[in-house]
Amino acid sequence: MAKDTQRYSRVAILLHWVSALCVLALLGMGLLMVHGDLAPMRRFQLYQWHKSVGITVLLLTILRLAWRLKQKPPPHPDGMPARERRMASAAHHALYGLLVGLPLAGWAVVSLSPFNIPTVLFGQIPWPHLPLSELVDAAAGEAVMKRVHAYGAWFLGLLVLLHVAAALRHHWILRDDVLRRMSPALRGASSPSLTRSSS
Amino acid sequence: MNVRHLAILMALQAVPSHGFAAEWQVDPAKSAIRFSGVQVGVPFTGGFQRFEAAVSFDPGKPETGRATVLVDLTSARTGDVQRDEALPQKDWFDVKAEAKARFEATRFVDKGEGRYEAVGTLTIRGKAKPVTLPFRLSLDGDKAHAVGHLDLVRTEFGVGQGPWASAQWVALDVGVDVDLVASIKPGT
Repeated sequence: MAKDTQRYSRVAILLHWVSALCVLALLGMGLLMVHGDLAPMRRFQLYQWHKSVGITVLLLTILRLAWRLKQKPPPHPDGMPARERRMASAAHHALYGLLVGLPLAGWAVVSLSPFNIPTVLFGQIPWPHLPLSELVDAAAGEAVMKRVHAYGAWFLGLLVLLHVAAALRHHWILRDDVLRRMSPALRGASSPSLTRSSS
Repeated sequence: MNVRHLAILMALQAVPSHGFAAEWQVDPAKSAIRFSGVQVGVPFTGGFQRFEAAVSFDPGKPETGRATVLVDLTSARTGDVQRDEALPQKDWFDVKAEAKARFEATRFVDKGEGRYEAVGTLTIRGKAKPVTLPFRLSLDGDKAHAVGHLDLVRTEFGVGQGPWASAQWVALDVGVDVDLVASIKPGT
């Protein structure tokens, strides 16, 4: 087992966990919005929150991908079977794909909705619609994008479970450093790799 | 202000005073045009930040009076950015087609005890409807204070299209509160 613990960069760790919290909040809000027994105003406000947090995830993910290009993530642990490496890569690609695709699909739903409700991020920042209503039939487009968004959300939920299960397997069963690489950096608990580049 | 409105205003200004009708200068800083509505059961209020009014009115001869009020619909503010973003759009005020609402009173009626009615036409989104605005007037020298309230059905003017044309989400009844402070223009 490699003793040299290589952590993700602080920025990558921060973006990962903020995204994770946002995604959990979005899944919860999404379920409540669609299936919850809510007063109409509550439901309306929940939609506004969902849109705000969803766009936040979209922006965070673009930032993360840009950061990832600049700052290579730590490699897979030594001795990790090729098949598992491929699976991990595929899962990560799918996660990133959904973190971009799901907000875009939601944004498309909002942009094609006959209600034409403006998006105002966190009640403060006006956010435009995607200019889709000129390109496609609004009603048909909205119906399709709603399905894409809903099924995509379930798929993301499953992928998150898989992602968590895999991380815990690495931590508790394989006893490698995979989970620790991404654990929120606590003061004093920082691993040698944090100072590796500067020392 | 477009050319037509300017022409109306200028025509109104040009009406010669017959010794009765006084021209009033409305003070926008002290005046307000506010509105109220109900969205999914929750009441809200708002106001128009910009409007202009040309009023020709003699309390002793109200039937000769006239008034034109132009309300800048792009200036509607309700304290909620989300709602304020929605209001100017196509489904609501459609300000790209016509940015102003116009109330043209062609006469006033004295109802006694300082109560009057302004009888005229209200035009929103190009839809004109006859409207009577009741108001209470208090005069103090060359100053006047008029407070009136109007109940409107928004869909009569097409305010709220598509899914908004029903009362399911936003009530059809809308209140408009007019509070104008004016002084007599010198020389009229």
